[in-house]
Amino acid sequence: MNILELNDITKDYGSVKALKNVDMTLSNGEWLAIMGPSGSGKTTMMNIVGCMDKPTSGTVMLDGTNISEVSAKNLTNIRRDKIGLIFQQFHLIGYLTALENIMVAQYYHSMPDEGEALKALERVGLRERAKHLPSQLSGGEQQRVCIARALINYPMLILADEPTGNLDETNEQIVMDIFRQLHRDGSSIIVVTHDPEIAEEAERTVVLEHGKVTRNTKNAVAGSRGGDEKNV
Amino acid sequence: MFLRMLRGALFRQKGKMLMIAITIALGASLATAMLNVMLDVGDKVNRELKAYGANINVLPKGASLLGDLYGVQDGTGVSDRYLNEDELPLIKTIFWAFNIVDFAPYFETDARLTDVAGAADSGGDGPSSRGDEIALIGTWFDHHLDLPTGESLDTGIRNMKSWWDVSGEWASDDDADGAMVGAQVAERLGVSIGDTITVEEDGRAKSLTVRGVFDAGGNEDDRIYVPLAVAQELAGKPGAVSSVEVSALTTPDNELSRKAAQDPNSLSIKEWETWYCTAYVSAICYQIEEVVSDSVAKPIRQVAESEGAILEKTQFLMLLITILSLVGSALGISNLVTVSVMERSREIGLLKAVGAHNSSVMGLVLTEVLITAAAGGAVGYFAGLGFAQVIGHSVFGSGIDIRPVVIPLVAILVFIVTLAGSVPSIRMLLSLRPAEVLHGR
Repeated sequence: MNILELNDITKDYGSVKALKNVDMTLSNGEWLAIMGPSGSGKTTMMNIVGCMDKPTSGTVMLDGTNISEVSAKNLTNIRRDKIGLIFQQFHLIGYLTALENIMVAQYYHSMPDEGEALKALERVGLRERAKHLPSQLSGGEQQRVCIARALINYPMLILADEPTGNLDETNEQIVMDIFRQLHRDGSSIIVVTHDPEIAEEAERTVVLEHGKVTRNTKNAVAGSRGGDEKNV
Repeated sequence: MFLRMLRGALFRQKGKMLMIAITIALGASLATAMLNVMLDVGDKVNRELKAYGANINVLPKGASLLGDLYGVQDGTGVSDRYLNEDELPLIKTIFWAFNIVDFAPYFETDARLTDVAGAADSGGDGPSSRGDEIALIGTWFDHHLDLPTGESLDTGIRNMKSWWDVSGEWASDDDADGAMVGAQVAERLGVSIGDTITVEEDGRAKSLTVRGVFDAGGNEDDRIYVPLAVAQELAGKPGAVSSVEVSALTTPDNELSRKAAQDPNSLSIKEWETWYCTAYVSAICYQIEEVVSDSVAKPIRQVAESEGAILEKTQFLMLLITILSLVGSALGISNLVTVSVMERSREIGLLKAVGAHNSSVMGLVLTEVLITAAAGGAVGYFAGLGFAQVIGHSVFGSGIDIRPVVIPLVAILVFIVTLAGSVPSIRMLLSLRPAEVLHGR
């Protein structure tokens, strides 16, 4: 069952066409990687799927709702309830502790629960760093806090934009371990990446070039699920 | 969580918040100082203006009427009408008694100069000679009064004629032989301090010793001032008073007071009560007439109107400075908050990305700014009280009364200025799109 369907999506920024007639699907529990060179439209697609932008034309169905037609307020509500966002630059609030950064997402979703936020930190191995400010954490630790924040409201879809882009190899492995675990737990994940090795971890890879999907490939490695390749 | 976020924003961004607090404190301190000065400047300027003389003249009714109708200043029906000295203390018992700063009675009589002993004897005679009539004015110099209310008061021309340039000393009310001689009289008679002048009226002679010579720069310089009782005795009219000059703190005239000045009976009951209970010069005149029998109290229009104009202009100036300081403060706050929002655009974008609506983010930012404003406003208020005292002492030579009404006024102004200053940043905040600030698009 597909939780996400993009049908004939186009996005224009003035005369620039960032996305051109893109079709894409994501089934429940699937791990999808989106690859492409700079300017290929990856971030635009991420923004549209993450309910932070709307397409110029086409429809985006998320969990049965056409999010290309809902109001800005409802888009915020859908994002809050169904999407977990992970950023390359982490985007933690500098004056809040690791724990409080996670609780912020709870606060705007429903009700802050310190115990649950601590469990989320524990899940990413940072319980003992709960009271630290972002400036007191390493890049890898900040990204793990960002992941814990994305997971705290049990989102239907996790969207990660270059999650390992700013990390060293050790931290990259820690973060990828978390993604593998999330996938095993049944989370639906979309990862935007430049790194083919990261992309290979996913079940399927979509390649964007000049705003168009040029490849939609099932990967053999991820989850030992195998897959075939087809050029689009 | 909201409180945690507030605490984090306020205490972990001390630098930014301190700058906003300082800007608001500066604006609030100026507003506090100017409002306190503005509210007190009426009394202060009024008191300063009292140094330039009386603003109300009280005359006997008949004398005033003939003077008004025919311009007659002397003769039967004018100079033979008097006020009663015993009633004068009642002037300090009227509704606006507190606003009566000073008053002095005058009894004018023309005496004949019979002898000048001292410098004149040694050859210093001027154009006038013995046998000439000379204007003798009886008055209170610094008269002690025990009022019917149980209070006491020292009043007289010594306080009211502060611009007189006096050589020697002021005469005393208790010194029946002392006199103050105008500069022109002293020059004409060739008298100086310590000399004796003998005057006579209707066979009653009186020797007066010159205690002081004054230069008033006006008609007074051609007169001799003696204690009131001395002049009354010489003229054989004990208790008689020709006129009274009153120095009163007044409120500038407006439409109501001008209407009342023409005819108090034309006012409605409500208007009459408002007028009577406001320190308009016409209301004070009316109240003086109520307590001094057969009197007509009239504002010395030129003085009263000048005072009103000066007062209004001073208050307007203060108001202008207050408004300008608040506008400056609003611009400062606007810049600081806008810069703060711009610097925090990623954080605000993130809050929106995790589900915060515009109203929630706006609430958070406004609460931060208003708490900072409250702290800055409180500091500014107390600093402003200090500024007000500095202004009071350096400009008026006395402290400024602290008006409690300034507290809510400043609080409201700080609130409005902070909100107004936050408008540009709120607009920016509302237009921030998470995709733009988090992903650069």
